[in-house]
Amino acid sequence: MIGFLSYLVFFTTIASILAIAALGLNLQWGNTGLFNGGVVAFFGAGAYGTLLLGGAPQSDHIGGFDLLYPIALLGGMIVAGLLAWIVGILTIRLRHDYLAISTFGVAVAFENLMRNAQWLAGGAKGLRGFERPLREFLGDGFLYNVSFLIIVLFILLSVYFFLELLVSSPFGRLLRAIREDEYAARSLGKNPTNIRLTAFVVGSIVMGLAGGLYGAFYAFVSPQDILPMLTFQIWAMLIVGGAGNNKGAIFGAFLIWAAWTSSGWLLSRFAPIETQLYTGSIQYVLIGVVIVTMLLWRPQGLFPERLVISQPGER
Amino acid sequence: MSQNQGYFTLKLITAISFIFCAFNSASHACNTKIGAVLPTSVDWGRPIAETAQFVVDQVNESGGVSGCNVEMILRDTQVDPKVGVDAAKALVDLDGVQLLIGAVSSGVSMPILTSVSVPSNVMQMSCCSSSTAFSKLAEEGGTNGLWYRTFATTGVQAAVGAKVAMDNGFKTVAILYKNDDWGQDLNRLISRDFSSLGIKVTNAVAINDGQPSYKAEVTSALSGNPDALYLGLYPDEGTAAVREWLSLGGTKNMIMANSLKSDDFRENVGMQYLNNAFGTDTASPRVASADAFVNLYKERFGKAPSGPGLANSYDATMIALLAMEAAGSNATGSEIAAQVSRVTDPAGTPITADVNGFASARNILASGGSVMYQGATGNVRFDEKGDVSAPAVVWKFTDGGTEEVEYMSLTQVDDFIASLN
Repeated sequence: MIGFLSYLVFFTTIASILAIAALGLNLQWGNTGLFNGGVVAFFGAGAYGTLLLGGAPQSDHIGGFDLLYPIALLGGMIVAGLLAWIVGILTIRLRHDYLAISTFGVAVAFENLMRNAQWLAGGAKGLRGFERPLREFLGDGFLYNVSFLIIVLFILLSVYFFLELLVSSPFGRLLRAIREDEYAARSLGKNPTNIRLTAFVVGSIVMGLAGGLYGAFYAFVSPQDILPMLTFQIWAMLIVGGAGNNKGAIFGAFLIWAAWTSSGWLLSRFAPIETQLYTGSIQYVLIGVVIVTMLLWRPQGLFPERLVISQPGER
Repeated sequence: MSQNQGYFTLKLITAISFIFCAFNSASHACNTKIGAVLPTSVDWGRPIAETAQFVVDQVNESGGVSGCNVEMILRDTQVDPKVGVDAAKALVDLDGVQLLIGAVSSGVSMPILTSVSVPSNVMQMSCCSSSTAFSKLAEEGGTNGLWYRTFATTGVQAAVGAKVAMDNGFKTVAILYKNDDWGQDLNRLISRDFSSLGIKVTNAVAINDGQPSYKAEVTSALSGNPDALYLGLYPDEGTAAVREWLSLGGTKNMIMANSLKSDDFRENVGMQYLNNAFGTDTASPRVASADAFVNLYKERFGKAPSGPGLANSYDATMIALLAMEAAGSNATGSEIAAQVSRVTDPAGTPITADVNGFASARNILASGGSVMYQGATGNVRFDEKGDVSAPAVVWKFTDGGTEEVEYMSLTQVDDFIASLN
């Protein structure tokens, strides 16, 4: 039973980290209508930023400033925010699929930079030498994972409440106005360009936060962690959960990650022995079927967006 | 509404817990589980997993480990670190394995090692991870002696590749390397070895996976008009790059890493272009057990073992299971890891890598002796970092497969590497 509990803690940690990233995407896509096809770049910027700032010095590349973990995590978020700001400024005129393609390009460029720039972050062999925070006190075992989970859950809830507050504020109403009709918003004297940029940067900082937690949990990040597959996974989480609904984003993250991991587990356990070797491919098919079914059967997601009254006082 | 959801979630969790409990209690009479985390959804990953399962079948045929049937639970990594680590964690926590075979990519093996194997005290044996980062981690004491790999460090391969160039009198060489941890390491090492032999590297170009064309990369490699081309690539990109290289008038003098020792590569490029292509590998065909591996493999799968990592996967699984046998029943990961030196002892009784070999090893180990494993990659011997050094061969493609051109014993390899530095 302790094994099951230990795995559950581990699973919940990763699912919660992915849920934070899905929340960031929900602010961008669900609330503002920004199609970010490069989630993984901001996630990766947060992970690399955190590990470079908080890791031990390495001989073959820069970084390893041994900063305290919360400061390193904050630094990682700033790196992600800066990247988002630069990308945002450059692509601010782009809408929908154009924005999607250019952000996707940014993500691929980011991965290639990390793969090739050995002087920066170790290149393809990845970034190592990060000491997990408080490891001396908590050891390496179950206790550590539980403590880490508590911190991650606390951060997940904080992000959730922050975003709930944000979208129910007048600012949130403005985001939805821009999503629905940018010209109408402009005609009311609002500046959609600035608001879009703000939402893009804030959402990306949240993704960077998720990346910083992810990197610290594994104490390792390599270009293989930031392949476009992760962008796809986080999008699937948001679409299944329900774009525009923060609860949906969290629920979707847990559901999709559970489906992703448990399908492998179930196949390895129950598939006949001669098909064992093909479980990897079967798993891909199953996951694809789940997402397509979801899109056909309930395109608004499991938790559809609710119309929010922006000024609770007048309810 | 939220209360209903709460109930629902609670029910769901309870239901799942019951399912898990049911599985945990339904244990078999005597069944030892081991875990394998391998990229079975990738074309070249599947044969590696098949080979590992083949070893498990043979060990079971000879009577299992400590009298128990060995069950290998295979999980796919999808070459995604998150998925691989989750699979490894599930194997350790839910199935209680003390031994993990895998992974293939260093970018997956490394987080499994640091966040699953070491914290949970489980032995991890990889067939194919080659990154030098593992040696560094071991030097810093980060592996707790739980990490082993049967893939010889890239240094051997690089040194022998440089020797081939020297022996053939190539003065200038261009390099095409796979743009991952293995390829970058290989490029760094062989460039150094080339220059210490006085061979000029005209250009070293990284090749990314899955591009429709490698014309730009190949053109840039051609620009120095080199005597020979060094290929640190996998069959798919290797085929595409070599075709473009030849069509643009590049030389047929080629030196290949063992990753190109594949029938697909030979057939897709065409034998007529490969007459002057030399490959390097760390296998040791002089040892009878290596031939035995080839024969066993042919018998089982109906074809010769071709494809990267098969011999390494065979040895990784066999040595891990031998160590498990040596450690006795209910051994923990670190107890199994501690026995690896006893089953790869150069002073021990030589044993073959098959059903009979495992059976005779069982008797020797039970009486307190040690054995020298003679496997598909030769007499495997690990250093204190869990790395292997190995004898090397130079090989060429033939119409029906590959043939050996030159054999270098372990001492010759070590001496040659020493002469380079």
